[in-house]
Amino acid sequence: MVNPLYLIIISLMAGFVLPLLDRVNRKLSLATFIGVLLANTVITGFWMHGFIQADLGTLSFSTAGFTAPLSINFQLGILEAFVLLAINLIGLLTGIYLLKKFNESPLAGMILFIMVVMGANGLILTRDLFNAFVFMEILSISTIAIITLKRTNESLSSGFKYMLASGIASIFFLLGVVFIYFFSGSLNLDFININFTDYRLIAVYMVAIALLIELKMFPVNGWALDVYESTDAGVATIISVINSTAIAFMFYKIMPLLPSNFLYIFGIIGALTYLMSNLMGLKQENARRLLGYSSIGQMGLLLASIIFTAGLEPVLRIMIVGGFFLNHLIAKTGLFWISGLIKKEKLKDWRVIRSNKSLMIMFGIFIFALSGFPPFAGFWAKWEFVKSLLAGQNILIIALILLGSLFEVIYMFRWFIQTVKGEYKEDELSIMPSGKVILTTLLGTLGFGLGILIMKNYYGFNFLFTLPILSLLFIYLIDFLPAKIKGIMSLGGLAYYGYYLYTLVQFENPIQILFGVIFLVGSGVNLISTLNRSEISKGFYGLLMMMIFSFGSLLIARSYLEFFLSWELMTIASFLLILRGKNAQKASLMYMIFSIAGAYLMMVGFGFAPELIGSSALITGLTYVQLPLISIILLALGFMIKSGVLGVHVWLPEAHAEAEADVSSFISAILLKAGIWGFLLVAISVVWNAPQFDVYYWMGWLGVFTALVGAFLASFQEDAKRLLAYSSMSQVGYIIAAISMLSHLGWVSAFYLSLNHMMFKSALFIAIAGVYYRTHTRNMYEMGGLIKKMPLSFISVLISIIAVSGVPPLSGFGSKWLMYSSFIERGWYLQAAVLFFASAVSFLYLYRLIHTIFLGQAKYEHKDVKEAPVWFIIPQYIFIGAIMVLSTFPNLLIKPLSAMASQYFNSNIVIDGYNVYSSYGHWNGNLIMLVTMGVFIVPLFFLILFIGKITKVKQFNIVYAAERPESPQTTHVAHNMYAHYRKALGGWGKPRIWDFWHGSAEWAHTMGDFFRRIYSGNGQTYLLHIILFFVVVFFLGV
Amino acid sequence: MIETLILGFILLLIGLYAMLSQKNIIKIILGFSIADTGVHIIIVSLGYLKGRRAPILDSAVDIANSVKEVVDPIPSALVLTAIVIGLATTALMLVFAAELHKRKASFSIDDYKELKW
Repeated sequence: MVNPLYLIIISLMAGFVLPLLDRVNRKLSLATFIGVLLANTVITGFWMHGFIQADLGTLSFSTAGFTAPLSINFQLGILEAFVLLAINLIGLLTGIYLLKKFNESPLAGMILFIMVVMGANGLILTRDLFNAFVFMEILSISTIAIITLKRTNESLSSGFKYMLASGIASIFFLLGVVFIYFFSGSLNLDFININFTDYRLIAVYMVAIALLIELKMFPVNGWALDVYESTDAGVATIISVINSTAIAFMFYKIMPLLPSNFLYIFGIIGALTYLMSNLMGLKQENARRLLGYSSIGQMGLLLASIIFTAGLEPVLRIMIVGGFFLNHLIAKTGLFWISGLIKKEKLKDWRVIRSNKSLMIMFGIFIFALSGFPPFAGFWAKWEFVKSLLAGQNILIIALILLGSLFEVIYMFRWFIQTVKGEYKEDELSIMPSGKVILTTLLGTLGFGLGILIMKNYYGFNFLFTLPILSLLFIYLIDFLPAKIKGIMSLGGLAYYGYYLYTLVQFENPIQILFGVIFLVGSGVNLISTLNRSEISKGFYGLLMMMIFSFGSLLIARSYLEFFLSWELMTIASFLLILRGKNAQKASLMYMIFSIAGAYLMMVGFGFAPELIGSSALITGLTYVQLPLISIILLALGFMIKSGVLGVHVWLPEAHAEAEADVSSFISAILLKAGIWGFLLVAISVVWNAPQFDVYYWMGWLGVFTALVGAFLASFQEDAKRLLAYSSMSQVGYIIAAISMLSHLGWVSAFYLSLNHMMFKSALFIAIAGVYYRTHTRNMYEMGGLIKKMPLSFISVLISIIAVSGVPPLSGFGSKWLMYSSFIERGWYLQAAVLFFASAVSFLYLYRLIHTIFLGQAKYEHKDVKEAPVWFIIPQYIFIGAIMVLSTFPNLLIKPLSAMASQYFNSNIVIDGYNVYSSYGHWNGNLIMLVTMGVFIVPLFFLILFIGKITKVKQFNIVYAAERPESPQTTHVAHNMYAHYRKALGGWGKPRIWDFWHGSAEWAHTMGDFFRRIYSGNGQTYLLHIILFFVVVFFLGV
Repeated sequence: MIETLILGFILLLIGLYAMLSQKNIIKIILGFSIADTGVHIIIVSLGYLKGRRAPILDSAVDIANSVKEVVDPIPSALVLTAIVIGLATTALMLVFAAELHKRKASFSIDDYKELKW
């Protein structure tokens, strides 16, 4: 294979030849330019291929006919080959990206570009410290010079600031190198074999600090931000990717020289850089500068990961560091390239990207990749990194990194949402398809493919776990078909999937079947309502199936990673589904932020959990391990965020209300149950291995208060979907409380309620979807009297709310009866009392729901309203039918549920015929049904007989002093219906939790704004930062 | 030689001080140049061993014993490269300064903070 020295030789030769060729013809010099970059890529590609094919070990290439240390030598191992290939490939692609620019600019641009790549290659290859200094100088001088490819006041002044900083850095580096030579007698990294502990420390310290400055660590990076903001997009790419990578690799090479206490501090600086630059990024409105903040943050993360993975086995280390590296490389390159295509500075102006579909998808891919979502490399790296940090007890680093990551997700997704949903007029300047777009698409595809490669080859995930992604891709390919065809295909696919899981995978535990019914059968019936879509609904079914298949994967996950992967895929799908809603910007952002925060809690929680034994599903595997308390708390919190428990529920009403009508029912009835499923898994592990501290007692209280507050909040809503959302929150509170009891009866009632809630909440949401479809409003006070127009919807709502409220004869009564029995049996009397009160409150909102929508006078504007479309009616009546059957014959359900719970607890209910006996009495659902029917039928006959005597009141025969009120709806009782209760609640009615989260958000932004003031724009201030940094870090280390 | 070593450090500090205290871009560049010269002097002083010969192997030096007779040649070799690089850096800085002055007719570094935060 070609000697890697040619990487340098070819580039240097090109530097001399290019001016001559350029005299002949510009095309010739451009071709040579690309040829050189291509040659670099091919050479490194061959080496990479060679290293993969055979274990060549680490090769050394000497120069000038001497061997090291007498001569400078290059070292090439698989690691070097990998990094070289990556940066040369990006160099080649960015070179192509910049071709047009180079064609128009002086030749110097091309030569400088080649020099940047050469400097980076040399820096990575060389083992000689002084040679490294030379390559670093070549790298920085040519980088700074190439900034002037775009000559504006800003780019020149930022280039000068860069020059000052890099000048100081090079002084430090040079002094450090010379002192290392003075102390150790060698310049070759392989031959320096003394410890730099005592006063000699200063030598390696200076080299390290120089590299940290060049790596743009916080706070010595103000100049870098200016450069990112002002220079050409292609140049920003090579600074962010090629330049930084080479320097990070150099740091990796000098790491063995550094004492461990300093390494630790540098690691913290890296993590802190990640946190701070993402925090400061929150306030950015300029896209390029935001990318600059993000780039700097990613470099911090890379540095931290290089340092803190030092003790790991090489493959894992490559997974982590290489994962972060590739993720940054691809996502940042792509985003910088797009920024060059957009040619707009403000974040909100990026909406022009919507004029080019494939560019928009790529933008999404880069954002998701950068935020660490599966299947991209960053996801795996983050997972393994957190795990290894936990093993090393580095809690501080985890906190810094996850918090930084959260901030990054916030601004990235705010940007994403703003871009895909913001105001956009078609006639705005649009992005024409061009070579650059194709290049970007290629890069995004590469990133995606790499992620899948890791997933399949490193982790060996089977088909079922890739199914969510595959289904998204597959449906994207057939997206041109009408919605109905795709809907029916999805339904068929889902049916086969369910059958496949049931017969072939074979559930280990009947609880999986119960949740399988909730997740898959529930989704299937809900899918019917989506058949009402008449337009093509691009993207909808892909995302929907991705979400549903992720639910399935959650059921059968056998390891923490499988579970977490499916969880994140579910989050992606559900986020994008919510985002489809017309005004869902804020709602989807909140959903994303809370989901990510929950996911990070889970990630750490899983990290603390002991390894599972065997390869059975989590529901079995978790029973045999003892989860530490911290793990239980973190996992439970993570799951409760997804279920919308009190305190972290603020995303829930927004997301439910703003999602498309037929999506809301999926979110409420099924997605919330995913949180319950996770919560249950944690609880199962606690049954036999309870922690010392009875944490579930407090979780029980949390559930109880969720139920109460949810019920109150539901009562005060004007928006029907928000009302139902809060109602879901309340119901989830019951379920959480019941699971937290950790008793047989408690779990039976939790299972029962979970299934019930799925059915009645689906029916209610679909009914409201139908009403919304006809009336185009969600405000209940704008409706009324729809009973005559939409009788079928009315009946389904009526039955559902009877089922919710827990009055006889429907299934809700059974679940309430079981629940109160279990609370009393467990001795949680006070909790039972609060829940009872919450049930009473829930009558308020249920009454409001049916009264204001269906009863009273019909509004004039609704005079032509018809019954909801049949696609909405069918699923409602499937659910209603199921509720009726299960209410009449409750034992059909109670028996298997009791069996499920008695795997973990001694059963204390007896089922005999139609009777269910607990220690506190018995319940005969069948008898109750018959009696209640009788009670209803008698007055019904009475009414029918005497109906003629009723006097009908005409609409609007109420007049205020001869005037009609301007908006009659708001003077109606239906508007602000429970104002008096709200008043009675006094201070308790205020949205404190809202205020808390808003306050937190504002605080974070203020902090970000405060810190970024250190970047005053003055080059001299930046110099001062560097000097202070040098001194302060040194004393911290000593 | 300890005296030149100290001299080198003094020059380095003078240069850094100038870079931090002077507002004029040209003076800042001069500061950098002084600091850089300081570094070069430090490098040379580290290699110099009192009472020894120049590292040229001719008839005046006993080849077998040369290691003990000549000064360390490597720092001298390094400093040449360092000087060249320093020159390139200074030149590029001056180009930037000229280019900036062409646009705003000012050498004050305070006038170039359009980009911040």
